[in-house]
Amino acid sequence: MLRIENLHANAGDEPILRGVNLVVRPGEVHALMGPNGSGKSTLANVIAGRPGYDVTAGSVSLDGVDLLALPPEERAQQGVFMAFQYPIEIPGVSNMEFLKAALDSRNAAQGRPELSAVQFLKLARAAAERLGLGPEFGKRGVNEGFSGGEKKRNEILQMLLLEPRLALLDETDSGLDIDSLGTVAAGVNAFAGEDNAIVLVTHYARLLEHIVPDHVHVLVAGRIARSGDKSFALEIEAKGYGWLTAPA
Amino acid sequence: MNASTAQAFRDSALRHATRYAPWLDRRPSRDALADATLPEPRCEAWRHTNPNRWYGAERPARRQRLDARGPPNIRVIPFEEADAEDRHRIGQHLNATLDRARYPLANVNDLLLDQGVLIRVPRAAAPAELLLGDLGGGYERALVLVEPGAECVLTERPAAPRQRVVELVVGAGATLRHIRLQPSSDAVEHHLVSAQVGAGATYRVAQHGCGSPLRRCDLHIAASGAGAEIAVRTAYRLGERQHLDTHIAVDHAAPNVVSRQVARGAVGAAARAVFDGRIHIAPKAQGADATLTAKHLLLAPDAAAYAKPELEIYANDVQCAHGATVGDLDANALFYCRSRGMDEAAARQLLVMAFLAEALGDAAPEAAQALLGMQR
Amino acid sequence: MSGPNAAVGERLAQDYAAGFVTDIESETLPPGLNEATVRFISGKKSEPAWLLAWRLQALARWRKMTAPQWAHVTFPPIDFDAISYYSAPKQGPKSLDEVDPELLRTYEKLGIPLHERAALAGVETPQVAVDAVFDSVSVVTTFKEKLREAGVIFCPIAEAVRECPELVQKYLGSVVPQSDNFYAALNSATFSDGSFVYVPKHTRCPMELSTYFRINAANTGQFERTLIIADEGSYVSYLEGCTAPMRDENQLHAAVVELVALDDAEIKYSTVQNWYPGDEQGRGGIYNFVTKRGACLGARSKISWTQVETGSAITWKYPSVVLRGDGSVGEFHSVALTNNRQQADTGTKMLHIGRDTKSTIVSKGISAGRSQNAYRGRVLMNPGASGARNYTQCDSLLIGDECGAHTFPHIESRTPEAIVEHEASTSKVSDEHLFLCAQRGIDAEKAVSMIVNGFCKEVFRELPMEFAVEAGKLLEVSLEGAVG
Repeated sequence: MLRIENLHANAGDEPILRGVNLVVRPGEVHALMGPNGSGKSTLANVIAGRPGYDVTAGSVSLDGVDLLALPPEERAQQGVFMAFQYPIEIPGVSNMEFLKAALDSRNAAQGRPELSAVQFLKLARAAAERLGLGPEFGKRGVNEGFSGGEKKRNEILQMLLLEPRLALLDETDSGLDIDSLGTVAAGVNAFAGEDNAIVLVTHYARLLEHIVPDHVHVLVAGRIARSGDKSFALEIEAKGYGWLTAPA
Repeated sequence: MNASTAQAFRDSALRHATRYAPWLDRRPSRDALADATLPEPRCEAWRHTNPNRWYGAERPARRQRLDARGPPNIRVIPFEEADAEDRHRIGQHLNATLDRARYPLANVNDLLLDQGVLIRVPRAAAPAELLLGDLGGGYERALVLVEPGAECVLTERPAAPRQRVVELVVGAGATLRHIRLQPSSDAVEHHLVSAQVGAGATYRVAQHGCGSPLRRCDLHIAASGAGAEIAVRTAYRLGERQHLDTHIAVDHAAPNVVSRQVARGAVGAAARAVFDGRIHIAPKAQGADATLTAKHLLLAPDAAAYAKPELEIYANDVQCAHGATVGDLDANALFYCRSRGMDEAAARQLLVMAFLAEALGDAAPEAAQALLGMQR
Repeated sequence: MSGPNAAVGERLAQDYAAGFVTDIESETLPPGLNEATVRFISGKKSEPAWLLAWRLQALARWRKMTAPQWAHVTFPPIDFDAISYYSAPKQGPKSLDEVDPELLRTYEKLGIPLHERAALAGVETPQVAVDAVFDSVSVVTTFKEKLREAGVIFCPIAEAVRECPELVQKYLGSVVPQSDNFYAALNSATFSDGSFVYVPKHTRCPMELSTYFRINAANTGQFERTLIIADEGSYVSYLEGCTAPMRDENQLHAAVVELVALDDAEIKYSTVQNWYPGDEQGRGGIYNFVTKRGACLGARSKISWTQVETGSAITWKYPSVVLRGDGSVGEFHSVALTNNRQQADTGTKMLHIGRDTKSTIVSKGISAGRSQNAYRGRVLMNPGASGARNYTQCDSLLIGDECGAHTFPHIESRTPEAIVEHEASTSKVSDEHLFLCAQRGIDAEKAVSMIVNGFCKEVFRELPMEFAVEAGKLLEVSLEGAVG
């Protein structure tokens, strides 16, 4: 489904990714771990198409479609969703307005009929409730004045509504208290299915107690240094990252 | 030395005074105009808008239009139909709120007047709703007297006038909500709104819309009564090659006045927005609370914005602040929208709408949203 | 109203410490301005023909110009024929030993370390090279030799015209053209002295450079000209101080300062301006009509202006930066305090021409007494200034209810790829703060002085240490009598 081959990318002039290879199949949950600055977030941003990163070599495809050739919105329409590490505030655009615009774009691109206002509201309210976002949520500006936890829950809400094929969760656990972590994890687990896949980018193994990965990879200096199953995450939790070095 | 375009225009106005409403005493305007220096190119108040383009613009063909309406208890009187009592009233109030020195162009208005209208809003149980539409497209004048304690909503839809001067007297304790809707036009226009706001009165003006090849809007609001409340909101979206120059002056002339000014402008290709927002606090106007924010988005490489927020303060018990920004849409917000599947045009539209909405307020009429291309 | 704010208005006579007159025999040109005046000044300095021609051209241009009217200041028209354009101590000094002892005492009173030995003896005092300009001429420049070793040229501009004419000819008038404005044209025709600095490539000037300006003679204008050139990769910090005696009539000071920074060079220019402000009735005081501008010609160059303005009857001054080099940086940090009948119209211009240019403006205005204090600024983003950024913060503080505080920023942006942000606020010294101080036993005058110092902290931080202390004291003295 997702196939990354020999991916090299720069942030500005600085090389960050130095040859990443990764294959993700439908129904799988992958955890991408690594020390600060190892390139985890860069990988997620490059897949989503964030400006400011230059791909210098390699390829990324989703279901055979070359993602790197597409603008960010078409990647999203292909089914790529990134939950932002630092969700953006957009004052003046209400959450409902934003969600409707996003959903309409996806439906139009995939040739699906547009939801009626009533259908949409029903869907959005149900999802907001599930994530513990209050009734005022819809009217408030996108992430405007949200707490850290609310912002992360809003990301998961968007994921639930947009039903992506591939969800990249960039440090979704950072800055969450234990209750929010539980809510977010429940949302992700409810989303996970045979038809989609999840890549969790995280520094700590804490999240992996709630969302159990099939594969765990550690990124060091822009390459995957080692991969394993969920027990590998526990090993890292115990031993830290120091013993892992970049592959030659 | 050859006379400048401004001098030639002034001389012509003095020579070719209209015969409309001949009973109007035009001497004060004539004398003021004879002494006045009309704006010359590059003078401070017209630094980024060439007044010669206005002097030289073709005077539109005279249309017989008078689109001014209100409920039955409101008196809407064209000058040509004014009886002796109304003539007296007009004589008493016309030009009384005008700062002739600051707005010398207003002196030509009654000399060249094509259509004038007097509106009186008495105190009533329910707020009155008034419409002031097309007044013929030439030199237009409205004198609106909102009597003490009265409440009224005045919606203006000017139809590309050459010059429209609206004088407003808001009596003590009265409330006037004034909405000016300005669609795109092909005309060269000058607008002047001159309001005098009495003690404890509220004046809220919202001017929304687009531009024209040249549209200059002067809004002068004098809070002359203690405890007056002033709010000015303006949102505009300028299309290709449009030029909109908005000058707002709020004078705190009495104590304990609260004023707010909010401006948001989105400027398109080869368009130019000029915004000058002034807060003036007179020596005795203690307890002043005044703010202004003016933000502009430049949406094309050759768009330009010229912003000048001003504070002029002669009292010390004041809380005044202003802020101004000019830039493009936030790149992070744009990417956030695109990462959720919106194409770039849709994302930009969404963000521009949100930006303009900051100046619309909660009670913005749908017509204003439509003008700004904000139908959702 | 009660409380300390209510007592404002009982002003005491202000103590202007620098207000003495020095009794020195001087050679002063009779008042009047014509070609002969210009030829006389040029002849006195033994100037080359090109410079005389340049001055005469400026005079011709000045005659066609009119004095600017747009500033927020009022004063009776100046009679430019009633001013003397040249005054010099009669005994021209050859070295420090020959300097008129009376003059040395003057500078001692001002606390300026003219005497090298004295300065060298004090191990604690940082070394500062000083060029002192007395009325129209530079009387002494210290530490010349030490600077020469580093390759730095620091001398009176008249000397620079003789010693390095190619540099002067290349850059004089290149940043502030003769016809830039009325007073700049006047200066170009009549400037009598000033300082010249050249810092060679990849050189960090080994000490702070400083010029002290003093107007002494009566009815004299001072028209000094300063030119500072920082060559590629160099750094220089320059300090300027100004004082004048107390006189009943107004004296004109119309200086021009030009700064040129080439690739990767940095110039830091600090001013503590304490010209005589006039008395509490507004009699006397200096008209300070000054044009200061820096050109960041080179890539990644930086020019920062820091000014503390407490003196002068009228200040008309806008130290500016033309950001031509890609990635160049301009800064303006200003404190302007006006009391009694002083009027200040000051601010800056940041003209962004190059890509990725950055500018920061921090302006703090304090108005007391019956003074008027205006910030006037212009930020321009040219179409090519992609990636440029400006941030401006203007704050005004009002002390007493008879003064005025005004803010007139002009923002002109012609590219969506630049970001301009401007914020301004105006308020009075808070009654709550004053009450808190009073409750803790601090009297109103001390409390206001503390609050004002806090208000200005951001700017003082930019000053070299010894100047920061001086600036703080100056504010305190200048505010005397503003709070009863």
